[in-house]
Amino acid sequence: MNKNSRKWISVAAVSTIAMTSIVGCSSGGKEAASSPSAASTAAPSAAATAAQQQKPLDLNIMLPIFKTNFPKDDGPVVTEIEKRTNTNIHLEWVPNASYTDKFNITLASGKLPNIIYVPDVKNPSFVNAAKSGAFWEIGKYLKDYPSLSQANSVIMNNSSIDGKNYGVYRGRALGRNGINYRKDWLEAVGLQPPKTIDDFYNMLKAFKEKDPDKNGKDDTYGMVMVKWTGQWASSFDIIKLWFGAPNKWGVADGKLVPEHQTAEYLEALKFMKKLYDEKLINQDFAVFDSAKWNDPVVNNQAGVIVDVTDNAARLDDKIHQTLAKDGKDNPNIHYIDNMIGVTGKNGLKALPTSGFAGLLAIPKSSVKTEDDLKRVLTFLDQMNSPELTTIAGYGLEGKHYTKDGDAVVPSKDSALLESEVEGLNQMLPFIPEDRGLKVKQTPLRLQTTKIQKEAEQYIVANPAEPFISQVYSQKGQQLDNIINDARIKFIVGQTDEAGLKAAFETWKKSGGDDLVKEMNDLYAAVKK
Amino acid sequence: MKQAAAPNNPLELEQTATHAKAQRRTGVMSRLLKDKWLYVLLTPGLLYFIIFKYVPMWGVLLAFQNYQPFLGFWKSDWVGLEHFRVFFTNPEFFMLLRNTLLLSFYNLVFFFPAPIVLALLLNEVRRAFFKRTIQTLIYVPHFISLVIVASLTYVFLTTQGGIVNEMLQQHIGTKIDFLASPGWFRPMIIIQTIWKETGFGTIIFLAALAGVDVEQYEAAIMDGANRFRQMWHITLPSIRSTIIILLILRMGQVLDNGFEQIFLMLNPLNREVAEVFDTYVYMMGITQGAFSYSTAVGLFKAIVGVVLVLGTNWLAKRFGQSGIY
Amino acid sequence: MSKTYRSFAGTLFDVSNYIFLSIVGIVAVLPFIYVVAGSFASDAELTQRAVFLIPKSFTLSAYEFIFSTDTILKSIGVSLYVTVVGTLVNLFFTVTMAYALSKKNLMGRNTFLNMIVFSMLFGGGLIPTYIVVRELQMLDTYWALIIPGAISAFNLIIVKNFFQELPQELEEAAKIDGCTEIGLLMRIVLPLSMPVLATFTLFYAVGHWNNFFSALLYLNDPAKWPLQVMLRQIVLLSQMAAGDMSQVDPQFVKQQEQSIKMAVIVVGTIPILLVYPFLQKHFAKGVLIGSVKG
Repeated sequence: MNKNSRKWISVAAVSTIAMTSIVGCSSGGKEAASSPSAASTAAPSAAATAAQQQKPLDLNIMLPIFKTNFPKDDGPVVTEIEKRTNTNIHLEWVPNASYTDKFNITLASGKLPNIIYVPDVKNPSFVNAAKSGAFWEIGKYLKDYPSLSQANSVIMNNSSIDGKNYGVYRGRALGRNGINYRKDWLEAVGLQPPKTIDDFYNMLKAFKEKDPDKNGKDDTYGMVMVKWTGQWASSFDIIKLWFGAPNKWGVADGKLVPEHQTAEYLEALKFMKKLYDEKLINQDFAVFDSAKWNDPVVNNQAGVIVDVTDNAARLDDKIHQTLAKDGKDNPNIHYIDNMIGVTGKNGLKALPTSGFAGLLAIPKSSVKTEDDLKRVLTFLDQMNSPELTTIAGYGLEGKHYTKDGDAVVPSKDSALLESEVEGLNQMLPFIPEDRGLKVKQTPLRLQTTKIQKEAEQYIVANPAEPFISQVYSQKGQQLDNIINDARIKFIVGQTDEAGLKAAFETWKKSGGDDLVKEMNDLYAAVKK
Repeated sequence: MKQAAAPNNPLELEQTATHAKAQRRTGVMSRLLKDKWLYVLLTPGLLYFIIFKYVPMWGVLLAFQNYQPFLGFWKSDWVGLEHFRVFFTNPEFFMLLRNTLLLSFYNLVFFFPAPIVLALLLNEVRRAFFKRTIQTLIYVPHFISLVIVASLTYVFLTTQGGIVNEMLQQHIGTKIDFLASPGWFRPMIIIQTIWKETGFGTIIFLAALAGVDVEQYEAAIMDGANRFRQMWHITLPSIRSTIIILLILRMGQVLDNGFEQIFLMLNPLNREVAEVFDTYVYMMGITQGAFSYSTAVGLFKAIVGVVLVLGTNWLAKRFGQSGIY
Repeated sequence: MSKTYRSFAGTLFDVSNYIFLSIVGIVAVLPFIYVVAGSFASDAELTQRAVFLIPKSFTLSAYEFIFSTDTILKSIGVSLYVTVVGTLVNLFFTVTMAYALSKKNLMGRNTFLNMIVFSMLFGGGLIPTYIVVRELQMLDTYWALIIPGAISAFNLIIVKNFFQELPQELEEAAKIDGCTEIGLLMRIVLPLSMPVLATFTLFYAVGHWNNFFSALLYLNDPAKWPLQVMLRQIVLLSQMAAGDMSQVDPQFVKQQEQSIKMAVIVVGTIPILLVYPFLQKHFAKGVLIGSVKG
């Protein structure tokens, strides 16, 4: 790190001198030519030209790695990216499982990279550091960049702290959640894709009772759910919206109301209980590890997963794989289908994601001047171009993938991909969207993209998404546990409705009331 | 000439006096010099403790701050006993204390003797090949990661097609929800620990047993002692001091529970018995990024640990055992 | 008389003992057999069969994958290096200090012991230790994995106690023969303490081999990762840890195959499993015979 920051300083120094000498030397004829052009061209291309004239930008980028192999700094894909963006990239890979620890240590050590991935924008260490001036506030600079300027304002809001954006968000589809189900099973039991909640119920029931996998055994059930650890949306959180419940916070009479205090929430819970009691969902969902979520569907035990809809393609691939091993695969059909949701009395509702998966923040200690910042932003902007998105996502054509028309066919050499390509997509902002080439778009994948886009009109936003609450950071996890534990106990029958209500009361007394008040104060401040 | 006679000569008198004075200065210098090689041997370890254990001890002060990594120690706010207040006034404090202590207690009662018993049984084996094979086999579980252990536990015990429950269903007609019921949580954890750590734990006792003088056994057999009396009077006493030391040191960890194992088996349905200090701090840490909070709880645990270790040590001494010192 | 007594109750005991121990041995090793079996099975089989001991679909693809790049091999090399050097460092520091502290009339002994016990329970924590390591310029070097853990106070105390138990007469006899303190340690005490030394060599070695957290913390260069970090990466990929992105990001992070997870575990465990049989000969009985009489 020491070496790199010294290198960075010396390069910055050299490039400054180089620029001054260029300007200084271009007296007389040259100057007359260069200044009007510099003045008349729009900011973006000036930035681009300047970048081409300067020495390559040294970039230390800290990213999480999910595998044991990782792209090296001198690998062919990284080199290609460097060439196209005029940068010299050093990647600091951190094992994802310990990323937060490493992040905190890095903050404490004071030696930050030029671009650092921030997993949780609400993490107090980050919030505190940002408010203390550790990171550039980049919101006002984005308008100067062709891609970054198209950032989605809702997502910008969601990823802000006190209205300020301390990093470039990594865009993800907003409307990702929905229903994934076994198409072949639905056909086997003679039903149409469900439209209403009742249809959904009937589908689950048929999956349980009508032996959809036709093996003569009563070994199937409707939907598989997993142990919810509080870090992401569970099936229940998606389903509750169908009943009209709000997404974490609802608005009633201009005030914020926690979701569990609404009648619709209770109705949704009762529905879940019904499903559990009738054995339409796996009886051990409260302890079932999320790592195994897909297995029951692939194994012909369950027929439905309510989760992100891009899971459908993955499920489908797995089923094809499994059947192929036994020689029973039909590669031309899809076994899985997906949909946005079913309608309740309020119409179609979908659970949005926050729209982003972490930020790419730019520390002030390593990116010292505004000019340096602009160069870094240029890099991030360039990474949104179709070519660079494809390169960082899939590698180099011919080596890491081949093209089948417009589709990417990745190489089967996983080891090669892992040591040269996989992981680089962690630095892509995908703003305004994923413009790179994609893998062969099977009908299922095309449909997934379509419904994810379509779902955006039906999403139920969380009005309190950008708020950072003091009460929540002290007691949030505990409060969430009270509700979550209560609702799961209710579903499995360990408590009854009275017990549930009692838990809600406990929630209020343990800090819930304080939380509601604080959130409402924040909400009122923003509404003005 | 007899110069080494009684010191009548004034010069010799003085010399003797000096000599006697030097002898009285036995206190510090002489002892240091006498043991100088021992101090030399002591030095590397001492330096290690000072540099890596005592120099960083200022970190304990983080418990009294609202430490933020970016601001660092000097710029983070001081909050005094705030974290302790939050910790002790937490309505779940007693639940956490109860869970932590109970689990530790069960561990002590059920797990602690297991390696001892196993070591004694192994010691009785005459065939070296069998003994070595078993020793190697029982040592393996220590290396199986807890993630796999949890995963296998699920496979065996789930109500949704788990092996044990399928058998129960067949033979007695009902299933038992081991994984979700509070009543089974502690036994499950203890059984997991016994499976995983007993084998590895026998090593230290086997090492102690290796040092027992074979002649003692021979003498005892001459005196007509059977196997059990031999075990009681020779084998056990030989490892007694090891057992006591391990027990004393174990007391220092009475508030520790092995975070990862519990975290993996914790779920909303058994939380009321499963949540212990360690998982609680972890949970608080997610939302708080709380170095300070976990340092505060760690400090609390350390104080309790020290009291217990010293207390147990004193007790051991009262009963005539050697203790740590 | 005593012999006939032994032959019934004793034999009964022996037989039950052998049976019991055999069961214990099997129960202990079965899950590992499962992992080994899984490493040779296909992914499809792992999804379908929850647990098995013999794979129906034997395949080497997981192992081929692991060894196709040299990352895993290199990390094994790193682990081996750190384990060997680390354990030697551990033994040096621990034995010297334990021996010195085993002498009850050493001045200051109780103070030192108190200091050690205290440090076992109170610690500065992550950040201050990290700063010390950084200031000593050990960051991103293998020394950061070796030095900060040079002595385990727990081990130290137990070794010290073992030394304390050695008969005084030995020391006196040696000193009469003109032996120096260090000579005494090297030529008499250590050879007699082989079981203890073997035990703690094993403990320290296992500690080094299994350690991943120090590596995560102090090493920035992924090329220096020891094996356990690799293992955790693979095994924990689908775990729901805080800040884990795989659930939020499944389209960007491909899941690792189950069989590869198992294969890495096998590769990561076998080397250290082999250490124990090597050390077993030092646990032989009766090492102390004759040492005092002679």
